[in-house]
Amino acid sequence: MVTLHVRPQLLDALSALRDRVAAARFPLPLAGAPRARANRDELLAQLDDYLVPRLREPDAPLLAVVGGSTGAGKSTLVNSLVGRRVSEAGVLRPTTRTPVLVCHPEDQHWFSGARVLPGFTRVWVPPEDPRDDMLVPAEVPGRVLRIETADTLPPGLALLDAPDIDSLVADNRVLAAELLCAADIWVMVTTAARYADAVPWHLLRTAKEYDATLVTVLDRVPHQVVSEVSRQYGALLTKAGLGDVPRFTVPELPESAWGGGLLPGTAVAALRTWLVHQAQDPGARHQAMARTAYGLLNSLKCRLPELAGAAAAQYSAALRLTAAVDGAYDNEHTRVQRRLRAGAVLAGDALKRWRAFPLDCSPAELLDSLVESLTALLLCAVTAADEQVDEAWRHDPAAGAPELAGHGPSARNAEHRIGLAVRRWRRELEEYAEDEVRHRSTSPDPEMVAALVATALLGGRRASTAGEGLAERIGVQGALRLRDWSGRLLTEYVDRVMHAERERRLAPLDALEVHPEPQAELIAALSVLQKER
Amino acid sequence: MTAVTEQDPTEHTDHTVKPASEEGAAPRTDLTSLMERMERLDRTERTDSRERTERTDCGGRSERADRTERAGEGPCGLDGTADPGTEEDIWDDGLIARRVNENDGPPQFTPVERRPAVGPPFMPLAYDGPLRSRLDALRELVGLSRARLDSGTLAEAGRVLDEASARRRLSGQHTVVAIAGATGSGKSQLFNTLAGVTISETGVRRPTTAAPIACSWSDGAATLLDRLGIPGRLRRRPIQYPDTESPLRGLVLVDLPDHDSAAVQHREQVDRILALVDAVIWVVDPEKYADAVLHERYLRPMAGHAEITFVVLNQVDRLPGEAAEQVLDDLRRLLDEDGVALGEYGEPGATVLALSALTGDGVGELREVLGQFVAARQAPARRIAADVDVAARHLRPVYVTGGRTGLSEGAREEFADRLADAVGATAAGEAAERAWLRNANRACGTPWLRLWRWYHDRREPTTGRLPLRAPADEEATARQRVEQAVRTVSDRASAGLPAPWAQAVREAAVRGSQGLPEALDELVTRAGLPPGRPPRPGWWPVAVLAQACMTLLQVVGGLWLLGQIIGFMSPNLGVPVLLMLSGIIGGPVIEWSCRMAARGPARRYGHEAERRLREAAAGCGRARVLDPLASELLRYREVREQYGKVTGAEAMVR
Repeated sequence: MVTLHVRPQLLDALSALRDRVAAARFPLPLAGAPRARANRDELLAQLDDYLVPRLREPDAPLLAVVGGSTGAGKSTLVNSLVGRRVSEAGVLRPTTRTPVLVCHPEDQHWFSGARVLPGFTRVWVPPEDPRDDMLVPAEVPGRVLRIETADTLPPGLALLDAPDIDSLVADNRVLAAELLCAADIWVMVTTAARYADAVPWHLLRTAKEYDATLVTVLDRVPHQVVSEVSRQYGALLTKAGLGDVPRFTVPELPESAWGGGLLPGTAVAALRTWLVHQAQDPGARHQAMARTAYGLLNSLKCRLPELAGAAAAQYSAALRLTAAVDGAYDNEHTRVQRRLRAGAVLAGDALKRWRAFPLDCSPAELLDSLVESLTALLLCAVTAADEQVDEAWRHDPAAGAPELAGHGPSARNAEHRIGLAVRRWRRELEEYAEDEVRHRSTSPDPEMVAALVATALLGGRRASTAGEGLAERIGVQGALRLRDWSGRLLTEYVDRVMHAERERRLAPLDALEVHPEPQAELIAALSVLQKER
Repeated sequence: MTAVTEQDPTEHTDHTVKPASEEGAAPRTDLTSLMERMERLDRTERTDSRERTERTDCGGRSERADRTERAGEGPCGLDGTADPGTEEDIWDDGLIARRVNENDGPPQFTPVERRPAVGPPFMPLAYDGPLRSRLDALRELVGLSRARLDSGTLAEAGRVLDEASARRRLSGQHTVVAIAGATGSGKSQLFNTLAGVTISETGVRRPTTAAPIACSWSDGAATLLDRLGIPGRLRRRPIQYPDTESPLRGLVLVDLPDHDSAAVQHREQVDRILALVDAVIWVVDPEKYADAVLHERYLRPMAGHAEITFVVLNQVDRLPGEAAEQVLDDLRRLLDEDGVALGEYGEPGATVLALSALTGDGVGELREVLGQFVAARQAPARRIAADVDVAARHLRPVYVTGGRTGLSEGAREEFADRLADAVGATAAGEAAERAWLRNANRACGTPWLRLWRWYHDRREPTTGRLPLRAPADEEATARQRVEQAVRTVSDRASAGLPAPWAQAVREAAVRGSQGLPEALDELVTRAGLPPGRPPRPGWWPVAVLAQACMTLLQVVGGLWLLGQIIGFMSPNLGVPVLLMLSGIIGGPVIEWSCRMAARGPARRYGHEAERRLREAAAGCGRARVLDPLASELLRYREVREQYGKVTGAEAMVR
């Protein structure tokens, strides 16, 4: 039998694990991502609201959370256990919207702070308040937990009336799930009409999975059928492997009938006795607490690998997306290089200018058209790459993240950015040509030299005469040097453009920050925790 | 009021507990069921093996993952397979108690062989005109889109069509109404009350009814029940039978199993039958009327079927005093939030009633409403119409987007411009213009200027100046510009189209653009200007002659002056100087005026050259790219029109 006392190393390992879990993100909409997010939130809630505070302070009162479907009579049951109306009950569903925590006045300090359920604003209604006004002030923001004190409850036990576990109001569902996570004892309420519903059974299975201390209450059972319904329910529980779960039957009484009255003490006496026993008998109390706590610790063994698996799936999806972008841009980059070598820039307009050069075309015009043609080549490559990426991403569910969808406006600016880079290349080329020409006796027109270099560079084979012309003007040495240098410059600029565009395309994906670390960190934190146990 | 059940305690003893073989109701949460499911997954699922191994890592949790996989499978509600993703996701959001953890048993129903409908009293159902045309339009739509959309998208529409034609072959005098609801809401009791005889077993065991039971108020419904797969042993008669004057004549009532118990096969049966019946009575009780499963899984997806929906709040006898009224109001509010139109104040919509099947309160009213409903014989057509509405709504994203579609004149012109750029029409035109001008200047220049130019040219390197014609410019067209032009125009054309059609448009453009650069290459050589010198206008010889005269004048004047200087001639400065001056001034003047005069023809010549190239390129582009695009757009417009017919007739049917 494990003992429950404060163990700093275990707590440290646990809080390290908690941070890892909190840091895990599942931004890509993969098939398992919503589930992983829900599991992470639930695990976080269990660690924050239950496991860490419980291991830190084993002496805190036991918290029994009453959960169940809508209309199962949870509030009536709590009211009856306490002996006065602490929680609203009524005929309209869902009734309880604000969770109510009831404890002995001496225990109030345990719950008024942020020890458990730190995400809830506490509202305290003093018991001497004569008004039967249970409405929470509307101005309290966020989630609210109402704390009531009652002398009728024994010290060391607190009851929490949760909203419907399967409410039509989505917030209530989340709330109820989170509250159940904070429980030492799960009190599962179902009714004669509901005991075969799927919803309570899911809840029971979850409780079994976490090995939480569980008790079920079969509520609203008409007198005539008590034995039969009870037997049926017992059979179902046994079949589900939950035969040893304490089971209490509360008959349907006129007081319980939708009016929010209190059931007579006898109706809930057995349950009350059981709860009081759990709270006051040290052995039973210890067992109840340890079972839930260690059940939860045990459940980490398969829940964390599951989260780690989801994190790994996220990372591999991110890699897949990145690889699609890289592949497309690499493809296009090679294609651009091939076409540059083939002289594809000197085509169309530029070719016509070159044919008319220099008689009917000025060097500036030739350069202009070459620059335009080069811009078109690069823009074509970039848009083709983007198209390939879109195509590849369309078949990948991970690319459905809204952050990855909006690359429209920046794509439209690609023309602008590429044009800017190419013009800058031209300016540098011209400057260099000017330098080259300056200390020559013949002093040919630098613009002419620049135009010839650009043509020779971009025209491939069909511009061989440009090279000859250049050699005639600035000598073979100079021509070679100028050509080499401007060729390097061109490669550099083309690489830079393609790289920048690829980065732009990858930026939203990078912003999601899907890294390989969470997977390893989660597993590592788990193994540290296992060692500490 | 004490402990009231939905049934008289003496009654349930009549009905013995079912044999254990029918115990499919109880959940089986053992390893075998899990393994069964894993096997099934292996067979049916297309998840990659990695995910699967993750799942098997921890058995307990695997069931949830399993659940997600299954979300896309089963039909849910009347809605069919319509939108499994969102709807199921909402339901199965992973919260505690909302992870579906289902046990599959063998299906309990056995679809009955469909017998050919025979018998004189049989009269098939006839749909009215608008509905028929909508169904035809839907059929046409499915046919037209089959090549563009994947079969999954069209599955629901296909199902609706199948069901519509199946229902049409069957009796139009009967209305099949299903009684659906949660376990313990008193479906069977209401069924029995309406039938006037205990047909369906009621009891405190949950869930009670495991298989649907039918009760038919008049003959000829056998084929309808065959379609529902209800075997003969589960078909009953009401007590009034054969009272042909019964107000419920024509009613076929089906008592369904529950939809919310842990027995999954019950829900499957409910889903299956709800998709086939003509109308539904939802039975809710004060305890369960706000269950999320009822609203999220059934009522919300079925909101479009409001006209064939009844919602009855049973067990009002359990509610004290005016609480019944409150609960009913709350139920109305919830239905309103679900989007279910309520049939109040004479408007079409769902009928909401409160009743107690136990005491009989309000049953008369239901009977009356039901009688009118059945007598109207409108339910099957309304149901089909609602199905068509739902199918059309789900198909909307693949047929309609907000934006306007089509290829604007501007986009076409832009495409032509880009192609012209690609073949270099502008540059060719400019070059031609300048060449013409240059030739004109050369022809009409003063001889001295020509002499100077000739001398100057000899000193300069000759590179590039002599337009040595390359034998043939292979790849004279800028490939990248053509590619970009096609991409831009296909983007423009597909803007505002739903994704599948936009894809089709893009594919058509890509197909058309194959071979386009080569065609343009060929075209450039054909449509370009004829090689050699540009043509010379008729006034050139005159100008050349005048220029020669001017030179002659200069020479004559010069010689005359020279003669005077050497004393060969009598001194007379005036005339020779005048002659020479007029020659010297006249030469440039003539050159200048020729240049002015040449400008116009040169521009015309250049424009002509540009126009020829541009038109040839545009024509080529139109034939290869724009026409296929336009026909693709036309096809979409046709489909869009069909879709409009499917939905547009809604108002008329209503």
